[in-house]
Amino acid sequence: MPQPKKKNEMLYFMLRNAKLRIGVAIVLIFVVLALVGPLLTKYQPRDYVAPGVEPPSSEFWFGTTSFGEDVFTQFVYGLRATFIVGLIGGGLGTLIGILIGFIAGYRGGIVDEILNMFTNIVLVIPSLVVLLIIAAYLEVRGFLFESIFIGFFAWPWAARAIRAQTFSLRSREFVDLARLSGMKPLKIIIKEIAPNMMSYLLLVYILQFGGAILTAATLDFIGLGPTNSVSLGLMMNNAVIYGALILGMWWWFIPPGLAITAIVGALYVTNVGLDEVFNPKLREM
Amino acid sequence: MFKKIALLVLLIVFLFSGMAFGQVLERSETLYTGGKQWGPVSNWNPLMTGNYATGTIGLVYETLFLYDPLTDKFMPWLAESGQWTDASTYELKVRQGVNWSDGKPLTADDVKFTFELGQKTALNFSSLWSWLSSITKVDDYTLDFKFKSALYQEWDNYLYNVPMLPQHLWASKDLKDVATGANEKPVGSGPYLYFAYDQTKMVWAKNDNWWAIKVLSLSVAPKYIVDLVNTSNENSLGLVLQGQEDLNNNYLPGISTLLTGGYALHTYYPVAPYHLAANTAWLDVNLQKKPMDDVAFRKALAYSINVADIVSRDYGNMVQAANPTGLLPVWDKYVDQNVVKKLGISYDPAKAKQILAAAGYKDVNGDGFVENKDKSLITLKIIVPNGWSDWMAAIQIISNSTKAVGINVQPDYPDFNGYLDARLKGTFDLAIDNQAQVSNTPWSYYHFIFYDKLADIPTTQGGNYGRYNNQTAFDLVTQLDKLATNDLQGMKAVISKLQTIQLTDLPIIPLWYNGMWAQMSSANWTNWPSSADKDNHYLPVTWNGYWNMTSILMLTQLKPVVAK
Amino acid sequence: MRRYFGRKLLIYIFTFVLAVTIDWLIPRFMPGNPIQILISRAGLKAESANLIYSYYMQAFGLNVPIWQQYLNFWNALFHGDFGISIWLFPQPVIQIIMRAVPFDVLLLLPAILVSWFAGNKFGAYAARSKWLDNTISPLGYILTATPYMWLGIVLGWLFGIILRILPFSGAYSYAMMPSLSWAFVGSLLEHWILPFASLFLVMFGGWAIGMRNMIIYELEADYSHYLEALGAPRKLIRQYAFRNAILPQITGLALQLGVIVAGALVTEIVFSYPGIGYLILQAIQNHDYFLLQGCFLFIIIGVLFANFAIDITYVLVDPRTRIGMQGEG
Repeated sequence: MPQPKKKNEMLYFMLRNAKLRIGVAIVLIFVVLALVGPLLTKYQPRDYVAPGVEPPSSEFWFGTTSFGEDVFTQFVYGLRATFIVGLIGGGLGTLIGILIGFIAGYRGGIVDEILNMFTNIVLVIPSLVVLLIIAAYLEVRGFLFESIFIGFFAWPWAARAIRAQTFSLRSREFVDLARLSGMKPLKIIIKEIAPNMMSYLLLVYILQFGGAILTAATLDFIGLGPTNSVSLGLMMNNAVIYGALILGMWWWFIPPGLAITAIVGALYVTNVGLDEVFNPKLREM
Repeated sequence: MFKKIALLVLLIVFLFSGMAFGQVLERSETLYTGGKQWGPVSNWNPLMTGNYATGTIGLVYETLFLYDPLTDKFMPWLAESGQWTDASTYELKVRQGVNWSDGKPLTADDVKFTFELGQKTALNFSSLWSWLSSITKVDDYTLDFKFKSALYQEWDNYLYNVPMLPQHLWASKDLKDVATGANEKPVGSGPYLYFAYDQTKMVWAKNDNWWAIKVLSLSVAPKYIVDLVNTSNENSLGLVLQGQEDLNNNYLPGISTLLTGGYALHTYYPVAPYHLAANTAWLDVNLQKKPMDDVAFRKALAYSINVADIVSRDYGNMVQAANPTGLLPVWDKYVDQNVVKKLGISYDPAKAKQILAAAGYKDVNGDGFVENKDKSLITLKIIVPNGWSDWMAAIQIISNSTKAVGINVQPDYPDFNGYLDARLKGTFDLAIDNQAQVSNTPWSYYHFIFYDKLADIPTTQGGNYGRYNNQTAFDLVTQLDKLATNDLQGMKAVISKLQTIQLTDLPIIPLWYNGMWAQMSSANWTNWPSSADKDNHYLPVTWNGYWNMTSILMLTQLKPVVAK
Repeated sequence: MRRYFGRKLLIYIFTFVLAVTIDWLIPRFMPGNPIQILISRAGLKAESANLIYSYYMQAFGLNVPIWQQYLNFWNALFHGDFGISIWLFPQPVIQIIMRAVPFDVLLLLPAILVSWFAGNKFGAYAARSKWLDNTISPLGYILTATPYMWLGIVLGWLFGIILRILPFSGAYSYAMMPSLSWAFVGSLLEHWILPFASLFLVMFGGWAIGMRNMIIYELEADYSHYLEALGAPRKLIRQYAFRNAILPQITGLALQLGVIVAGALVTEIVFSYPGIGYLILQAIQNHDYFLLQGCFLFIIIGVLFANFAIDITYVLVDPRTRIGMQGEG
């Protein structure tokens, strides 16, 4: 296989694709902000810095909350939390999805039937409601828990998609060759099928990432997020509860939601861009 | 497409016509309240303490007396008078000329019937029957309560808390209905009648045949009272600022700054602390765990907490720091100033460090925190319910101030369920607690601090969550209960002893007084209760149990703003 | 056909039993119990609390062994008895839920249907020309990436606080009682617009983007090129593409139901709109097991029914499924 040429070709199209450029750029901006941001501020998210209800100024770039906490500090720490949940939650969802999707797609038959049924069941249950119930009854909630829960309910999408792809791939010649040569199924999956699906898995992961961020924001907004840290959803929750709407404290609730919209939107756009790169058919209209 | 346009037009027509046909209740006759009802109205049963619609006791059902905590006086209400004719007999004279809203007269039979319900089924006042032996009807308007052992302090509490029920309507109910029925279309003796309700509000209408109009020359001003269901704090804030809610009893942060914002807002005090004090916020300390079982450690802990910071930064001065005994301002006269001077604790970090060092708590490993005497680490958790933001901020301040003297206390915010469970089961380290409310007697406070049935705490929620065990104190509390309520000297003597024990052993640490949150809008009604007005010093609170602590009289003072 | 629906039905039944069991299980294995909370709220005298505690435990059937509670639960379910609410004692749960359902229907049905139709239409437009694509696509991406509650907050703030032309909380004016009058209906609609808009906009974005992508995919398929080569008018090709693209959008609707429920929940919270979503939040905050179970059950049943309806629709719309009903559903 002429690998190097293909790689360069891929890179070329990636850089040419406007959607990809814009999407990645936006996500990178926020990633940098999440990494560097906490170093720019000398406060902790819940420190008292000023009497409160201060609009943005040169000292407090995003103003302060009703309790006198610095919104910018909360924002950058919240960004971190958001990314972590996206990474772990999205990652877990993708992993489980890969596991189930591959096995179902490769094995077929009764295994596929059972896994499919299982997938459909989890798909139909409104996951947020179950998450709510679980989260509501935990005394103390941490970030890890939230990510894991989200991952546990996000995988059906990934599983379905991966299963379909696996189906179409497994009947290809190189897989038959591998099977004939006596390779174990797991090895076949890892060595032959997965590499050809890498691009697809990347797409799936991006969507899972975005989805996890939105789910986490929703959970946090309802007040069932982690009890001991800050996140963008929690900022919105607090803003609404403490009358930011009524007191016109737009600097408290606009940034968090805007950031989530921007990040998730950028992820979606990146996803489409990548799809166009990997699927020449979609490249030009 | 055409259909869609037609629909749109119809919608717009609805909108405008809707706005044109507006109100149902006349604004100048209607008082809008909020802050007590956190869920849709579901019952009007005055025996379902904690669950009934706002004003069920107070506006519809009334009590024998009203109690005024600010003057420490009882006002005869449904009762004409009451007195102890001997050490264990209380003679009650029921007021004549009182009618139920269905026209039937209220007599001693109704009162006797009501109290005896407590004997038949589990009600809030059922425990009365463990020391009340019988009620005898002397005549149509006189009753004799005969006690096995008279607990004078507690008895007074029943006098202004038990709602009187009409026998002719309740006698036929089965006991399950009595204790837990919804009691729709309630019939009471009070100044208001049931009018209507829906998901978002409860509407009461003025009772023009209320007995007090003739007998006491009192008249309530609003023709309708609409109590709005709380959806959220910020919603309430918006309603009050816009003048759509006249009286709000939610905790609304930032009210102190809004007072000068041109919103026609009014609070009881025009300056800090803005609100009256309703209950004490205590630091529950779990004496069953190390090192909290060491009184020296508790002392150091108490000295290290910067309450002033909590009051000013967290609450914007809407609350006051508690005095060292924790007694509410209305009980100032019971505070033994000598004991306080000798043993009282205030914020003094240097002293805290001193006490720690003297008691043998040293920082052995250099992490900035002291360790136990046996070198094991001290890592304490202080809990408050998640979402109670003012408390959440408070324990952060506490954590920071104890850190400054070397005690490692970490704030934690479990869900309310988990918080309550930890307190009841005694699995917590430190917790904030404000269970004990203002009442007619400081006995209720000492009963809470020194609640003696330690094994029953998980079900009775009586207090003493730290499980302090001191029989002397328990006996003193019982002794206090038996003192006559006008025996000021006797009460002060016992209370002084209790304060000495409390301040020496520090089983629980008082922090600040939570307020009777009350924000009033003068846009539609004026002449609200105020500290400046002696004749109108009534409580501006719609919470359960407050109507009969003179909030009902607030309604007689209100004046509608004359329409422009 | 029978096999197809039979299999679907089996899945739905399994789902139902599993979901119900989860829902019933979880609250019971968590610390604390609702009676404690009831008592703490009531501020009872300690000595009386003991008596009342045992009374309530019995009244709520919490004093029997766990497995018996589970069986009692299924038994009651088949009698349509969802239990008595703890938070709004003594109202039956079913009554409380029924009061909230009309608001959800009022909010969700128009939002889902209108956004689906409009989104698909606009998505198809976007696939027509590059100019349209460059306007509609970015808008669609932004909308679908917007968290429901944030859009709700922003709309509420803009129209409710800044412009002051629409109310931003409640289902109807506080001064009114529900009645069959123009005034009430007007107030109802006034309060409905913002929650509807925030649900509609986000969903619209999603469908538009989905449809656009689907159509482009279809336009790139072999049959499209073939038709083009044959000289068929673009409009005809687009029509075929549309019909093929709409199919995954129908199944997409079924898949999105869970997300839509979540969106409705937060929207109701932002606007204090008294639907089931809002009830769930209250039930959780007040640790009302029975109300929570009831709401959850209701949602599950609703979602399952909707899924079934969509399955039937799909079969009606896609001739291929009618001919060869084989394989996985």
